[in-house]
Amino acid sequence: MLVFRTYFKILTKYKGIVILYTVILLCFAVFNMQTSDNSTNFTASRPDVYVENKDEEGALAGLLCDYIKEHAEVKGPEDLKDTEGVSDALFYRQVNYTVEIPENFSEDFLAGERPDIVVRSIGDYQAAYMEMQLERFLQTASLYQKAGMEEKQLIKQIKETLKETVEVELKSSVDKEGLSKGAFFYNFANYSLLAGCVYAIAVALSSFRRDCIRRRANVSPINNLRYNLQLLLANGVFAFALWAFYVLISFVMVKDVMFTKQGLLFIANSFVFALCALSVGFLIGNLTTNKEALGGIINVVALGSSFLCGAFVPVQWLPDAVLKIAHILPSYWYIQNNERIAKLETVEPAAIKPLLVNGAVVLGFAALFVAVTNVLAKRGRQRRV
Amino acid sequence: MKNVIEVRNLTKAYKELRAVDDLSFEVHEGEILGLLGPNGSGKSTTINCLLSLLQFESGHIRIFGKEMTPDAYDLKAQIGVVFQDVAVFEELTVYDNIDYFCGLYIGDKNTRKAYVRDAIALTGLEEFVKFYPKQLSGGLLRRLNIACGIAHKPKLIFLDEPTVAVDPQSRNNILDGIRILREQGATIVYTTHYMEEVEILCDRIIILDKGRVIASGTNEELKELTDIEEKVTVEVDRISQEQLAQIKALEHVKEVTNSKNVVSIVYREGEDHFGKLLAFLGKEKIRYHKIYSERPTLNDVFLELTGKELRD
Ligand SMILES: Nc1ncnc2c1ncn2[C@@H]1O[C@H](COP(=O)(O)OP(=O)(O)O)[C@@H](O)[C@H]1O
Ligand SMILES: [Mg+2]
Repeated sequence: MLVFRTYFKILTKYKGIVILYTVILLCFAVFNMQTSDNSTNFTASRPDVYVENKDEEGALAGLLCDYIKEHAEVKGPEDLKDTEGVSDALFYRQVNYTVEIPENFSEDFLAGERPDIVVRSIGDYQAAYMEMQLERFLQTASLYQKAGMEEKQLIKQIKETLKETVEVELKSSVDKEGLSKGAFFYNFANYSLLAGCVYAIAVALSSFRRDCIRRRANVSPINNLRYNLQLLLANGVFAFALWAFYVLISFVMVKDVMFTKQGLLFIANSFVFALCALSVGFLIGNLTTNKEALGGIINVVALGSSFLCGAFVPVQWLPDAVLKIAHILPSYWYIQNNERIAKLETVEPAAIKPLLVNGAVVLGFAALFVAVTNVLAKRGRQRRV
Repeated sequence: MKNVIEVRNLTKAYKELRAVDDLSFEVHEGEILGLLGPNGSGKSTTINCLLSLLQFESGHIRIFGKEMTPDAYDLKAQIGVVFQDVAVFEELTVYDNIDYFCGLYIGDKNTRKAYVRDAIALTGLEEFVKFYPKQLSGGLLRRLNIACGIAHKPKLIFLDEPTVAVDPQSRNNILDGIRILREQGATIVYTTHYMEEVEILCDRIIILDKGRVIASGTNEELKELTDIEEKVTVEVDRISQEQLAQIKALEHVKEVTNSKNVVSIVYREGEDHFGKLLAFLGKEKIRYHKIYSERPTLNDVFLELTGKELRD
């Protein structure tokens, strides 16, 4: 395990940078948790919600609008007149939350479909509260619809149920605030994990990949395959250790959340992303052996994808065009998962399925990067011989 | 005499350029063989072919009697290589570098420890074991490069221009070290474009030019190839054309040239040229400040064979 051991010896020379990325993560996390602690009185003030009802005829849609009015300050188009549109309104925090009820919502819902209600939020606790209320309404409605009730009866039942359980619901078993903190931490970990993995792996790998060093290995009796396997193993162990360390930190920072099922999902999701970060490290380590160039590339990759995909600012604030571009980055799918996990009321198979899809996309990216690395490495070898 | 290396009709081309052209030679057990040639004559290319680092167009290479291939690991285990470019990890200390490269060959920890110590002693790096490559001077870096290549005590050692751009102290250390390695039983292939080094170090010399062997043999044998026996140079106060002609007429004199009262006289053969010349200068009352005699150098050999100087 000579190569393996030497890899870590080399890595210790670069530990400063990895520690720096970790400290940045910790600072941001601590800062965020403190500021949000000061504004936890979210039940006291009602969220400002903008509702656009495209199903004005529908009774169920009407009931939903009334229901929202009970729990929030509803703003109409006249309140948004200073701003360009809903995005701006969110950005300037004129509203916490927007709801768009699609056409034929009531009819489709009663027919057993689940039409998408388009919501956008600024990701604060008032918005989280609104999200919770909306979810409760839809679940209740869904329950009675499945029981085969017809419209009038359904609406009556919903009204009663929601009235009865208001008190209980407010003490929801799900700690939305904690979850949202957890998502914040893991979103930010996107940056630290990516930068840390890519930097360490690329730098250590590039030392071993230098032509003159490879040549020395090539004239020695060490088997080429074993040499490469040891490097692979060393990279894997490093990425795993960094990931495990960040998970450990998350247990310190947002302890309550981490012991829930959602916490487990955060961990699993970040593990998948760590694998992807490993593959990115491999790819970049194979691009160049110039250490200065590596620094630049890493900043572009880690900072760039973290900004574009919403690791630093809530996804809702980002322009649609940016989010469209972000689809081609693995960080996007990872962060989308964190956001979804934060909103999970219950952890059940149906809720997990979209998470698995996103996770698969991230793994797909990893496979792609590994394939590209192989092609590059093969070309490099041919050029040398 | 056993042959450690046999090279037959080796040819390696880079596109149009024949870097090594139908090269054949052998290396005997226990000798230091010098590959001497100007920059670009194909020395490094030859070594890289011998080590299976480069694919070549045609030819056969046998080392220790076996065909050399990229996965001849048993052969590689007995070979040590010091490449022309310094190849060490910037992130590791002198000690760790030697330990790593030795470790590619020697698995056992205790043996390796002893071997690394020996390599450090041989190259005189004791004071620098904790240094990083960046902190070493050019000469020390070269010595580290050598220590990394030979620490595993190989039976066959290739050294590719190990003394380029090295201070005299390091150069002497390196040359002494190579002699010690030979005394310990290693066979050594040494490439250089410094003729003085092969003259004092090598048992046998192969002179390369444009990828071809142009001459080979011992130092003495090579010098036989020129018809120069001795070269005497005199710095005189003044000398007449007539006197120069008289010198030219002396026994065995091949040619006489005079440039600004520095007269060089080349002798073809014979003995005691010096005495006879001094007698002539005394008889003619020619005053001189400096007079010295030289044996022909490998540069003269190279000049004779190729019509150009070995030095750049
Ligand atoms: N990778 C390469 N591609 C093309 N030409 C090369 C390459 N390596 C060496 N050469 C050419 O081959 C010739 C021999 O080079 P080399 O073996 O390095 O000479 P030496 O070691 O004697 O200085 C030179 O003319 C050099 O320019
Ligand atoms: Mg060379």
